[in-house]
Amino acid sequence: MSPTTVLYISQGIHGFAYGMLLFLLASGLTMIFGMMGILNIAHASFFMLSAYLSYTIAHLTNNFWLGLLIAPVITAICGAMVERFLLRKVHGRGHLAELLVTVGIMMVILEGVKAGWGTESLVVKIPPSLSGLIRIGGLSYPVYRIFIIVLALAVFGVMGAVLYRTRLGMVVRAAVSDPDMVNALGINTSLLFMGVFAFGTWLAGVAGAAAGPLLTVFPGMADQMGMDAFVVVVVGGLGSLPGAFIVALFLGELNAYGIQFLPRLAPVLMFVFMALVLSFKPKGLFGERE
Amino acid sequence: MRRNLQLWALSLAGLAVVVFYPHLFGIYYTNFFVKFAIFALYAVSLNLLLGYMGVLSFGHAIFFGTGAYATALALTHISGLPLIPALFVGGLSGGLLATILSPLLVRVSGTAFAMLTLAFGQLLFVFALKFRNITGGEDGIGGFPIPSLNIPGIVSIDMLDQRNFYYFAITVIMISIWAMWFYTKTPFGSLIVGIRDNENRVDYMGFRLPQTKAVNLIVSGTFAGTAGGLYALFQNLVSTVGILDIHTSLYPIMMAYIGGIGNFFGPILGSAILHILEDVTFRFTERVDLITGLVFILVVMFAPSGVAGILSGIRERYVSGAAGQPAMEDEI
Repeated sequence: MSPTTVLYISQGIHGFAYGMLLFLLASGLTMIFGMMGILNIAHASFFMLSAYLSYTIAHLTNNFWLGLLIAPVITAICGAMVERFLLRKVHGRGHLAELLVTVGIMMVILEGVKAGWGTESLVVKIPPSLSGLIRIGGLSYPVYRIFIIVLALAVFGVMGAVLYRTRLGMVVRAAVSDPDMVNALGINTSLLFMGVFAFGTWLAGVAGAAAGPLLTVFPGMADQMGMDAFVVVVVGGLGSLPGAFIVALFLGELNAYGIQFLPRLAPVLMFVFMALVLSFKPKGLFGERE
Repeated sequence: MRRNLQLWALSLAGLAVVVFYPHLFGIYYTNFFVKFAIFALYAVSLNLLLGYMGVLSFGHAIFFGTGAYATALALTHISGLPLIPALFVGGLSGGLLATILSPLLVRVSGTAFAMLTLAFGQLLFVFALKFRNITGGEDGIGGFPIPSLNIPGIVSIDMLDQRNFYYFAITVIMISIWAMWFYTKTPFGSLIVGIRDNENRVDYMGFRLPQTKAVNLIVSGTFAGTAGGLYALFQNLVSTVGILDIHTSLYPIMMAYIGGIGNFFGPILGSAILHILEDVTFRFTERVDLITGLVFILVVMFAPSGVAGILSGIRERYVSGAAGQPAMEDEI
């Protein structure tokens, strides 16, 4: 293969890996939004919190896998507490009150992380089993990015199976399209909401722990990814899992090739695209709810 | 009659404090007051949308930032531009941006409005970062000349003197806030409140909904732009951080909520509370926003009508005959 082709293909895989990471983050956000109607501004903050937690765990135990396993769980517990003790209290007052609470949480997590870990970038070491390059065809590629792709695809697969093949998934999907009716049918939607919120933050946590070695851990890591995830959710349709998957992939590739061809315009184009979708199709491309 | 007299006495006392303030407190607190007042104006302009029309602008920094950048750019590129026109450039460009965006913004309400304004906020933020030949990117634009306030043949006041600038800024802000207060008292202002309370009924009454909303947006954008222009003159520096970033959009929301969105003067109170809180916490910790965020969560959860709501509640309870503010539901 010629060097240019190699460059294009590796850029494509780069975009794929970023898109998958984005999907992990956005899928949690879209589920929370679709089901509870909460635009969770703090979602990316949980992502960042988990990255810091996994850094600390990996640092203390010298085991990356433990960090990847435990940090998202702690993050999910934080998420469940936030839902139970803060969001549920204002649920009756409409979505804007919930939105504002998540704004406050975002600030508290950001500043808390800065107070606890400082503001400089922290480097998470890639474990030896995932470091190095893999050769695919005539092309060598970092194993860690392949690992992220596999991880995200696995999560997508399991999530899809649970959502579309089990009774629990059926209830969740029903609650996405009409929470009041599901409540009237005698299902404990409060508990369901808490579960979905915790699961959503767990997904953000997995994304954060996985992103640590790739992006390095720093307080601003929530900003870029958070906005991208927000675009994915809005464009893909609020509450739509397949929509999030497709748009995350598209955005990942746009990012990868955009940096190569239109370094200045790529991020602007993304927001123009979103503003247009929001203005003329507020439900998003694949969404059912406004 | 007695109430009227009390009101006059109170206003006069307030005016006296404002006039003598820079002589009583040092330069540091004079600048502190200017910053508080600029953000009060900014927060009141946001409350025209949030409290009066019932939509949450999540990217109000686009108007504030546009005003700031427009004033800074005008002063950089047009030599000899006087002070007042430079400020007008800021305010008008805020209004112009609102005019351009209004066809899209009036179509949506609720969470969609918040998301759309957030999207435009980020769009403009990225624009300002990437088009560095115009905006200076992260470094921003600084060191532009600050013209003196010239009234030909009568007086020329040097605005580089911080005390003079204080009087100029406070005058502009008081006039602007008074103008907005007057605006909310007009029949048109009542129409805006009508849209908040029941959009469909206003529609059925034969008013033009999109145009009415657009006018309110433009008014809000113009005053936010004026605040931005003043801020550019005050800092003599505009850069994306502190002018266009998401935190600049969040501060007026927090101010409006903490002060009370159901009261016209709530956001001014909120700006005062937040600035004092920041000043105090900064003596103990660098992580000022940690405290601000916690206070904000507490207010949203337990005092949705803000400090102004609490105060008027107390007044209603203990002062006989005092007419309370109508209670404001934050169900938007």
